Amino acid sequence: MYGTLALSHRALDELAGVAGERTIAELRAAARSIEGLRVLNLSVTGFGTGTAELLNSSVPLLTDLGLDVHWQVVRASEDAASVNRAMYDALSGRSVSWTQEMTDTWLRYAAMNGDLLTEEFDVIIVHDPQPLAMRSYVETNLRAKWVMHSHLDLSSAQPEVWMLLRGHVEKFDLAIFPAESFARQDVSIPVRIVTPAIDPLSARNMPLPDDLVRTVLMQSGVDPDRPILCQMAPCEAASDLTGVVDAWHLVKERRPDVQLVIVLMTQPTDPTGRACYEDLASRAIDEPDVFIVPVGRPLGDVEINAFQRSATVMVQKGLRKGFGLWISDALWKGRPCVVAPVGSLPEQIVDGETGLLASTTEEFASCIERLLDNPEFAGKLGENGHRHVASRFLITRYLRDYLAILNSLHRMA
Amino acid sequence: MLGSVPTTPKSIEAYRAVIGDERMEEILGFAQQLRGARVLHVNATAFGGGVAEILATLIPLMNDIGLDADWQVIRGADEFFNVTKAMHNSLQGMYYDWTPAMREIWLSYNRMNAEAFDASYDFVVIHDPQPAAVPTFLEERTGRRDGKWVWRCHIDLTDAQSDVWDILRPHVERYDGAIFTLPDYVKDDLAGPEIFSVPPAIDPLSPKNVDLSSETVDEILSRYGVDPQRPMVTQISRFDPWKDPLGVIDVYRTAKHEFPDLQLVMIASMASDDPEGWSWYERTVRRAGEDFDIHILSNLNGVGNVEVNAFQRAARVVIQKSVREGFGLVVSEALWKGRPVVAGNVGGIPLQIEDGKTGFLVNTADECSEKLLYLLRNRKAADQMGARGVEFVRDRFLTTRYLRDYLHIFCQLSGKESATTASHTRMQRVRP
Repeated sequence: MYGTLALSHRALDELAGVAGERTIAELRAAARSIEGLRVLNLSVTGFGTGTAELLNSSVPLLTDLGLDVHWQVVRASEDAASVNRAMYDALSGRSVSWTQEMTDTWLRYAAMNGDLLTEEFDVIIVHDPQPLAMRSYVETNLRAKWVMHSHLDLSSAQPEVWMLLRGHVEKFDLAIFPAESFARQDVSIPVRIVTPAIDPLSARNMPLPDDLVRTVLMQSGVDPDRPILCQMAPCEAASDLTGVVDAWHLVKERRPDVQLVIVLMTQPTDPTGRACYEDLASRAIDEPDVFIVPVGRPLGDVEINAFQRSATVMVQKGLRKGFGLWISDALWKGRPCVVAPVGSLPEQIVDGETGLLASTTEEFASCIERLLDNPEFAGKLGENGHRHVASRFLITRYLRDYLAILNSLHRMA
Repeated sequence: MLGSVPTTPKSIEAYRAVIGDERMEEILGFAQQLRGARVLHVNATAFGGGVAEILATLIPLMNDIGLDADWQVIRGADEFFNVTKAMHNSLQGMYYDWTPAMREIWLSYNRMNAEAFDASYDFVVIHDPQPAAVPTFLEERTGRRDGKWVWRCHIDLTDAQSDVWDILRPHVERYDGAIFTLPDYVKDDLAGPEIFSVPPAIDPLSPKNVDLSSETVDEILSRYGVDPQRPMVTQISRFDPWKDPLGVIDVYRTAKHEFPDLQLVMIASMASDDPEGWSWYERTVRRAGEDFDIHILSNLNGVGNVEVNAFQRAARVVIQKSVREGFGLVVSEALWKGRPVVAGNVGGIPLQIEDGKTGFLVNTADECSEKLLYLLRNRKAADQMGARGVEFVRDRFLTTRYLRDYLHIFCQLSGKESATTASHTRMQRVRP
């Protein structure tokens, strides 16, 4: 028994208005053959990550579909947590000096956590790389199917750390990746792709009254009546936040009324993050039309929603790893986007149809100007983007993929 | 120069409708005397935490009324921030084995930051212990120190570990002024600076406190699975023993016998690196058990300022069952939304609640249940208390009062105090 989480009840039927009655009926039909299936989701944190957001939406909905779904959090002690962080960095492609001692710590906690798994399940889904080795130590759940759902882009993982992990992954029955490009080619177990998705009913995506949007903007000093470029990104070098300021400068030469809002999705807590913030702050300090939020207080979902909704153009200039799902959030709100062709962004942005792709600062500037100058074209992209998300990136599609996988595992068993 | 923090502009005039002409003129009167004064605030971080939140409002307002205010953060590597975290905790009463090496690290980064200090100001406000030794080294290096220097201490020093306070004290004693949150927080052996107390305040125009339509409030509640049609009580606090989350569930259960429709919303402010917070979170979840009318939410779940605002507004009664508390500003937040508050009689809470008028101060769980039931049974009395709470907060705990206190202190320290403006100030001059 690991950490328990407080989840709200959700009724799938509430999604009918957005996803259509037929989709809901199809989901119910797909769930019928696996009613009561006991599924355990394991993750290292219950909050604050894209993984947690997906589980927070999908677990109550799968429960409503009649499955017996659990979500438990394998919490780490201080020394295990620092090894976990290093492993996360190494798997994301950053260079980490990995020691034998770290391997030992990792395995020791995997063995300890393995011992704690006493309840029986039909399917066990491990959502983070850190608890993967548990599979090798668990003595219960002999008939359970084990699934690795990696939410990370493992394609450029540090080889020695990946090799360590791979030995354990090979014992799983299935691996799920969020995108083809995130997957490893060097595993022999079956691989499925399940794209992440947004929850259209969450506070992040609910409709907001205009006066509330204005209040949130004005609290940050942003003028709601002038055009807004917005980039949301973690505060790290790969987000190219100063590059966004450069692009805004170019746009501003012709469009002096344009404001730039940079929403920091993570707060700089380590030296590289602080350095990144300092670079950005020194560029912004004398620019009254550049806004860095939040200052001081972290933003909640309604505020993030408001910033996305207010963007005349949404920008994603850089991205280290991951899916960049807030672009889907923005598309759902009908916002035109200009993004770099990195990570999985091109899956969300089909160039010229659901948004524009740009690489250099100059390309960004000219794409942004094109959208500012052609509101009709921008509106068209936004509409297409909304439809694109409706068909491919909603939580109902994610549930459908999951039900298909659970059905096939059930048949295997 | 240290690292400058860009802030976003604010207008004092936007507050006129909230605070009225008289309070506005008082602020503008002080501003007149301080026109053009160069002010620098220095703290450790632009992020996460009450101090940064206060500065993000205070600095733009100072600029708007004609001062020339700037905000800079000190520079440091991880070793420095590890030491200052230990320093912060030990000054709040947690024991640390304090080594000479830690002291050296603290001093050397203060020296380094003092070397980067290259401008002169009329007022320099140094926040909290991290950069407190900067003026010592500035004087050492340049032989002088321009302007008035104020140390703003946001923490309660009552139970400070004595050897750590002894490291800090000689540096604090060189300041012209020192500001504490409550007179009780001041150490008796602090001599030198003129001492003031300025309690914290809420920003009525921020997304956390701004008026929301009842449609928006209901909509937000529904997104989190809370039924807007049924009565709800809430506590917004960290999950730790001092906020008694388990006791809150017990109190709710007592009331639920009589009001079976009642819902409880508990919103935790969690830090991902705080194992104790997690363990209390889990204990709270277990105590809630299978009762799905108890909703346990957190900032890490996306619950932010607007959401908290909505839950406070929607609550029949707001609970703050603290058994130990700092200032407990969340009480003023709830009062500002016109809700009566039942709260522990500890820390800064008695300053915010007029017992029996704007809410109730309680000392035991039984008392808490009893007062909660009284307010649930007597909706009209609850609403009247809430309405009085709004006026109480308007008078004492809005960010404009906080601004005025700073201006008043600047005037006093620079000998510009005028008899006319000091009439109804609530800032206390503790010791000259």
